[in-house]
Amino acid sequence: MNYPVLYSPYDAAMWDSIAHDAMAIQQCTECGTFRYPPGASCPSCLSVGFDWTRLSGRANALSWATFHRQYLPAYPAPHTVVAARLEEGPILIAGIDAAEKPGLQLDVALKVITRDHPDGYKVPWFTLAARR
Amino acid sequence: MSLNSSPYARSTAGVAAMVGVGHTDYRPDYDAVRAGKKPFDSYGYAAVALQRALDDAGIDRADVDGLIVSPQISLERSSELFGINPRWGGQADAVQGILTAVMAIRAGLASVVALAFGNDQRSAKVQYGGPQAMGGGANLSYVFHAPMGLTSQGALYALMWQRHMELTGATEADLGEVSVAQRAWASHNPHAIMRKPLNLEGYLASPYICEPLHLNDYCLINDGGVAFIVMESGLARAKSKKPPVYIKAVARADLHNQSSTLYPRLIDFYHSGHDIVSREVYETAGLGPEDIDALMVYDSFSCHIPFVLEGFGFCGTGEAGRFMRETGIGPGGGLPVNTSGGHLSESYMQGWNHQVEAVRQLRGEAGLNVPDCRNVQFVSDFVGKVYSIIYGVDP
Repeated sequence: MNYPVLYSPYDAAMWDSIAHDAMAIQQCTECGTFRYPPGASCPSCLSVGFDWTRLSGRANALSWATFHRQYLPAYPAPHTVVAARLEEGPILIAGIDAAEKPGLQLDVALKVITRDHPDGYKVPWFTLAARR
Repeated sequence: MSLNSSPYARSTAGVAAMVGVGHTDYRPDYDAVRAGKKPFDSYGYAAVALQRALDDAGIDRADVDGLIVSPQISLERSSELFGINPRWGGQADAVQGILTAVMAIRAGLASVVALAFGNDQRSAKVQYGGPQAMGGGANLSYVFHAPMGLTSQGALYALMWQRHMELTGATEADLGEVSVAQRAWASHNPHAIMRKPLNLEGYLASPYICEPLHLNDYCLINDGGVAFIVMESGLARAKSKKPPVYIKAVARADLHNQSSTLYPRLIDFYHSGHDIVSREVYETAGLGPEDIDALMVYDSFSCHIPFVLEGFGFCGTGEAGRFMRETGIGPGGGLPVNTSGGHLSESYMQGWNHQVEAVRQLRGEAGLNVPDCRNVQFVSDFVGKVYSIIYGVDP
C-alpha cells in the first residue's frame, strides 16, 4: 500500500491500522495517556514506552470549517472538515460528507470510519453517530 | 528565591527605546510584482528598509553593534550586504527580535541594535496552504492533517471562529467589524496597499475562502521589508534625532500542549497565555487595558482581534462583537486597533509593520493620529506563542 507523507518513524503503523479499518493510536505504557499525532514521547510523563490501542470510534464535535477553494487534488471544493474530541482524549481532524454537514452542532456524537484516498491509502473520516 | 518570580517582564522595563523605523514602498512594490516584475529579493527589501530606519534614527551604520535579521534572510549574508560587522546578532521574528535586543542591551552585549525583515513571499510564490505549505517541519498542524483534507493556516482560524460562534453566539457580522475598521484606518494611510473603503455589506458579500472566514478576513500576501533601530535608553535620550519611543515591558508565554491537533486554539483560544502575558506587561508598566491608547494585534486573520480583546481584558468573553460595534476599534473609536490597516489592509510584514505603526502613533507621525497617544500595546498569538509589548512616550 501507499502512505501519505510520514513525519515520524511511528506514523506507518498508524496508517496500517487505518488501512485495516481499525485506527489505533499510541497509548503510554507508564501512565495510560493517549497521544496523537504519533510521536516519540508521552507529553504527560515523558515516557517513551507505548502500545498501539484501537480507538473506540466515538468522538464529539468541537468545530468544523468548509473549504470553498480547492487546495488539495483529492478534495474539490466545497469540502468540510471536523475537529472532534476522541473518547480517548486527543483531538482528531477529518472530513465529513457534505450531506451530513447540516447535522453538525457543538458536541454532536460522531463515529470514526475510514475512506479511500485517491493516492492509494485510507484516511479516517467522520460520520454522524445518530443518522437523521 | 523562587523559580517563578513574577513578573519576569520587570527586567525588560525601560531598558531600551525605538529610535528609528523604516520600510519599503508597499503599494508600488505590490503593483510591480503583480505586473510580473521582481523589484528586490528578500535581502534587497531588508536593505531598503534598513537604510530608511538609519536615516529616521539619524545614526550611521558604524554605530550599530547588534544585528537581528528575519528568518527569510541569513545573518551572515545580511551582514555582508549591509556592510555591518556586529558584535552580537541573531535571527528572529519581529517580537522575539525586540525581546532579544532588549536582553542583549540589558546584558551589555550591544547598545544599538538594528533589526531587519525582508520577504519576497509574493514574487517567490510562497504557499501557506496546500501540498507545498511552508513551515510544516516546525509546525506539524500546517501539514499533518492534509491527507484528511485540512490544510492552510486560514482553516485553523476558521475552526477557531466557528467554535467561538457556537460557544458565545457571536456572528460573522461581528467578525466583519475588524476588516471594516482596519480598512477605514488604511484609507488614511498613504503606505497601505488596500485603501478602497469596505463596509459590512461588502464584507459579508465577499466570498468564503474557508467558511466561516471570508476573503477579507485573510491577510494580504505581498513583498516588502521593515527595519527598526533599538537603542539603550540613556543613549537614546542623548543621541536620538526624534523623541525615543520607550519599550516599557515585553513578555511571552508559550502554549504547546496538543498544539498539532489545535488544542490551545480550540479549547483555550490561547487565553491561558493571554492571562499570563497581560499580567506580566500590565504589572510591569503599571498600566491596565484602560490606559492603552492604541492596540496593535498580529492579524494574519481578522479573528485574532476579538480573541485578543477578550483575552487581554479589553472586554469580557463573548463580548468582542458588541465591544467592536459600541466602543469601536476604527477611526474615532474608543480603542483604536491596527491603525495602519494592519496585515489585512496595509501590508503583510509578519508583525514588523505593527511596531512601525506603534512608533508613528507615539510620535504623532501616523496616517491618522490617535489624539494624545501615550501608550501603545502590541500583541501576537500565533504558533503557540503569546507575546506583548507596551510602548510609551515615557520609559
